[in-house]
Formats: sequence, C-alpha cells, structure tokens
Amino acid sequence: MTCQKEGKLVAIVDDDDSVRGTLQELLRSAGFSSRTFESAEDFLGSGHQQSAACLITDIRMPGMSGLELQARLNAEHCRIPTIFITAHGDEEMRFQALRGGAVEFLPKPFDDEVLVESVRAALER
Amino acid sequence: MGFTGNIKWTAGPTWSATLRYGLAVASVAAALGLASALMHFHAPQTFGVFALCAIAVTFWYSGAKPGILAALLSSVVRDLLFDPRTSTESRLLFDLVFLVFALLMMQAVRGRNQLELKVAERTAELTRLNDDLKREIAEHNRVEADLRLSQAYLAEAQRLSHTGSWAWSPPPGDIRYWSEECYRVQGFDPKEGHPRFESLIQRMHPDDQARVVEVIERAVRKKEDFKFDYRIIHPDGEIRFAQSLGHPVLGPSGDLVEYVGTIIDVTERRQAEEERERLREAQADLAHASRMTTMGELTASLAHEVNQPITAAVNGASTCVRWLTRDEPDLAEAREAAAGAIRNAKRAADIINRIRSILKKGESKRQLADVNELIREMIALLRSETNRYSISVRAELDANLPKIMADPVQVQQVVMNLIMNSIDAMKEIDQTRELAIRSRLAEDRHLIISISDTGEGLPQQQKDKIFDAFFTTKPHGIGMGLRISRSIVESHGGRLWAAENSPHGASFFFTLPIPVETQDNAAEKRSDAHTNV
Repeated sequence: MTCQKEGKLVAIVDDDDSVRGTLQELLRSAGFSSRTFESAEDFLGSGHQQSAACLITDIRMPGMSGLELQARLNAEHCRIPTIFITAHGDEEMRFQALRGGAVEFLPKPFDDEVLVESVRAALER
Repeated sequence: MGFTGNIKWTAGPTWSATLRYGLAVASVAAALGLASALMHFHAPQTFGVFALCAIAVTFWYSGAKPGILAALLSSVVRDLLFDPRTSTESRLLFDLVFLVFALLMMQAVRGRNQLELKVAERTAELTRLNDDLKREIAEHNRVEADLRLSQAYLAEAQRLSHTGSWAWSPPPGDIRYWSEECYRVQGFDPKEGHPRFESLIQRMHPDDQARVVEVIERAVRKKEDFKFDYRIIHPDGEIRFAQSLGHPVLGPSGDLVEYVGTIIDVTERRQAEEERERLREAQADLAHASRMTTMGELTASLAHEVNQPITAAVNGASTCVRWLTRDEPDLAEAREAAAGAIRNAKRAADIINRIRSILKKGESKRQLADVNELIREMIALLRSETNRYSISVRAELDANLPKIMADPVQVQQVVMNLIMNSIDAMKEIDQTRELAIRSRLAEDRHLIISISDTGEGLPQQQKDKIFDAFFTTKPHGIGMGLRISRSIVESHGGRLWAAENSPHGASFFFTLPIPVETQDNAAEKRSDAHTNV
C-alpha cells in the first residue's frame, strides 16, 4: 500500500481520552486540524494513514504500541512524519523511535511550543 | 386407706354362724356345768351369775343374736334344772333379769362396736397421715438433695466463669449473701465471714474508689441498676480486673429492700482483648507493609497514571494561553481550555490522593463502600501496568450491587493484589492476555467478585499452598499477598478461593457480606427492575 498525503490532517493516537482531547484543542488553537484515535488499531483501520500529514502517537498503549505502529507504517511504505509523546521515555526507546524515522520524541508533559513547531515542520515537508 | 366397715377385733364377725351360735350354747352349758358342780359340793346356787356371764361372753364375742339365744337358753335351763318348783312370778323375775341384762349387753356391744369403728377410722386416718408424712419427708429429702446438687453445680459454674453472686442491704448496710466465688474474686478469706462494705471499697484500686462509690450512691438514690468496672488489689499485691452488676429489689410499697448482683473477674478476658488488639495492629502493619511494597513495585505505572492528567492539564493551560495571546484573543475558547486544565489537574490530584490513601497506615475503618467504584478506581490505577503488558481488561460489574460495610483501602488492596497476580501470570505467555473482573450478587446475602486471567494458571501440586504465608512462585516475591488478602476478606466476614480456568489461566473469587438493611434495598431494586421489564 502506498500513502498519499491529500491534506494537512494531523492524526492523534493515544489511549488516554483527556490527552487526546486536550492535544486536539491545542493543535486547533495553533491552527491545525486533527483527528483522534484511541488505539493504533483504530488508526490503521480508519484508513486515515493515507490522508494524515502528521502523526502524533503515544508509545505505550493497549494492543499495538506506538513503535509497532511506526514499524507497520514503514512496512507499508507509509512515511508519515511521526511525533512520539510518552510518559515512559528512556534513551533506548528514544533511539529506536528516531531510528525508525520519528521527527520528534517528546516526554509528557511536553512544551506546547516544541510540539507545535514540530507539527508545523512535519506538515511543511 | 379409709375405714371399710370391717371391724377387726379378737374374734367375732369373721367367725362363722356355727361358731357364734355354738359359743352361745357352749357358754350356757359351761354355766350349767359350773353351777352343777357347786351344787354337788353344796355351795350356794350360782347358776344365775354364771348364766349372766355366759350371756355377757356370748354378746361380747358372738354378737346380738347369739347373745339373745344365750339369754333364752339360760332362762330355759334355769327353769328346768334349777328351782323347777319356783313360782311363776319368780321365774318371770329371773327372765326379766336376763332380758334386761341382754338389753344392757346389746347396748354395751353396740357402744363397743361404735367405739371400735371410730378407733378403726382414726387408725386408718393416722395411717394415711403417716403415709403422707413419709411421702412428704421423702419428697423433702429428694428436693433437698436436688437443691444441694444444684448449689454444687452453681458453685462450680461460678468458679469456672469467675462470677460471684451477692446480696446486700442498701448501703451502708450489711452483706446478706456472699458466694464462695466472691471471696476468691475479691481476695477475702471465707473463714473471716462476710466483709464489710467499707472493706470492699478499700480493696479497690485507689483511683477507682471514688468513682465506684459515686456510681453506687447514685444508683441507690434512684433505685436503679448499676454496672461498673474496677481493679482489685489482692493481699499479695496482684491487680485483677473486675466488673460488678447490681439490681435493686423493691418491696410491695416500692421501698428498697436490698441489692442483688454479681462480680465477674474479667482479667483474662481483658488480657485476651488486649492480645487480640495487638494482633489486629500487627495484621494492619503487615497489610500496610504489603501495600507499600506493591505500590513501590508500581512506581513507574503510578507515575504514568499521574502523568496523563498532568499532561492534559498542561495542554489545556497552553491552549488557554494561545487563545489569549492571539491578535484577537478568544476569551470563550480560553475559558474552555482553562476549565479543562483545572479538571485534569484535579484528576491528577485525585489519583495522588488515591495512592496516598492506599499507602496510609492506620487502623481499619469500616464504612459504607461501593465495591464497583473501588474496582474501577483500581483498574484505572493499574491501567498503565496492564497496557505495559498488552493485557486487555474487561469489567462486568453488576449495576445493582448494593453498598456494603467495608474498609475501602483494604478491599482495594485485595483487588490490587489479585490483579497484580493475574498480570504476573500473563506477562510471559504468548497467547491472548485477558483480565476479566466481575461483580454480582450471590444468593446467600453476599457479593461475589471474581478476577480471572488467561495466564499460567495455579501452580501444579501446590494449589493448596498458594494462600500460605511466604509461598511464592515469583523470583523476587515475598509470598504474603494472597495470605494478607485472605485475612482481609475473612476479617470482613467473607471467603477467598481460587480455581483453574479452562483451557488455561486462573480465577480468584472473594465474597463480602451484605448488611441486612442493604439486602432489603437490593431486593427492592431487583423487584422494581423485574416489574419495569
């Protein structure tokens, strides 16, 4: 499967609904449109990997993790600029994420300016 | 036995008629013989006297009719054999004498019979009274024996239960009754007799004396029951604990007659209670240490749980600032974002408070608790841990579950232990990892909660040992989690047990009792639900 970026949609994947909701509001305040998914499986099943211009995902989630999602998208040649947000960040995880092509690896709670700039940079790719 | 009409005398009505009439003939013949003998020896003629004797004997021993026959025979014999040439007047005179004598004898015999009848009646009465008296004496002896036995049992019961009974006249009166056990409890010597009231007070611990006197005086004034605890200092210096109960006995006019009551030596009971209290404290300390250990193992997960709402709160605050720093600030959006930040910050605080309450050390506090809510909180708290090992969690909680009296912290500790055990059992397996938590009402006035997993199952050949202290299959486990969980459940009046799942995994079940008034409410709810359907 190949992915084509049809719009400037940001996909947010996180199992915590308060994080999903507030992140969406934050991006909206910065002028970005986004769509939220409560799991990696939901995102893959929705088909939005074809339309998302940027992916913000948690790493530790029930079922498929964020890193597994990254590997799956890479396998499908779907190179969505990915920003990881996590409360469990360690160096090994960070290295794995960046090696897989992540554009940013942010520990929770993150600086909103850093996130917004990362999203802007991702969308301008 | 009363008089039946049979006169029992030397001879008489029991004789046959032959004998009785025969006596009449024989006695007259004897009189004739004696008179003839005297005549032969030229002695004065005395047939009349002998005849009168014969008549008397016959009347006395044979009765009226033979007596009359004897009188007739005597008259005939006298007329024929003695003085046959006497004049008719003389004969009539002798006949009259015999007749009068016969009549007199009849009266005498009748009187004698009546007297004998009365004597027999009185004898029978006396015999009956004597029998009654013997029976009463036997009954009295039996009752006395029973009473002695009963007293012996009572004394033994008092000794075994360390309870003495007493009675005293309203103070400052005398002691009217003081059982053996009272002497033992109070430390007095029975040989010295009843102690005085003042002596009893003096035997008490100095710190208790004034209070006891005040309680007694108040009870006496109001003619009420009293009850107090106090310490006794025995002559050997030993301090014992006692409890005294008193009850007023009132006369017909309501005046106070006396007080009766008991003294109980409660020293052993108090020591047992103190021991139980120390044990409860030790168990609470152990449970607390277990909670601390488990929560320590969950530090990373708990930090993650707290981090999520904090992240959301920071996002909200950042969004609020962005809306406010626009060229045209959007106050409504900013307000909404700020409100969201506050909500999430409070959520973070709630999680921290929940963690703090679990880690708190203190005595068990029972209160009305919503078990489903406790389960949901624990599932939320451990969500990061279940996510970490890709375990799906399914909660099937009965919405009609009534609240129960329980220590919420302890119940959550049980749920946490069981969930952690399930997570440990599923960490290393390759197949689907599922954790199912169910709550429902059981038939026997209990809630039943189950925690089921698809993990490694119960250890083979050691299923009976899993609740033993220090039993563990984990390399770094202490082995107290299930032991403590069972203690907590049992202290609430419930049961905790385990069972294998098919095809793999294990389930842990525990029950908690429902208070009676809550059962009625639960029954009403089910009834309403049934009606509404």
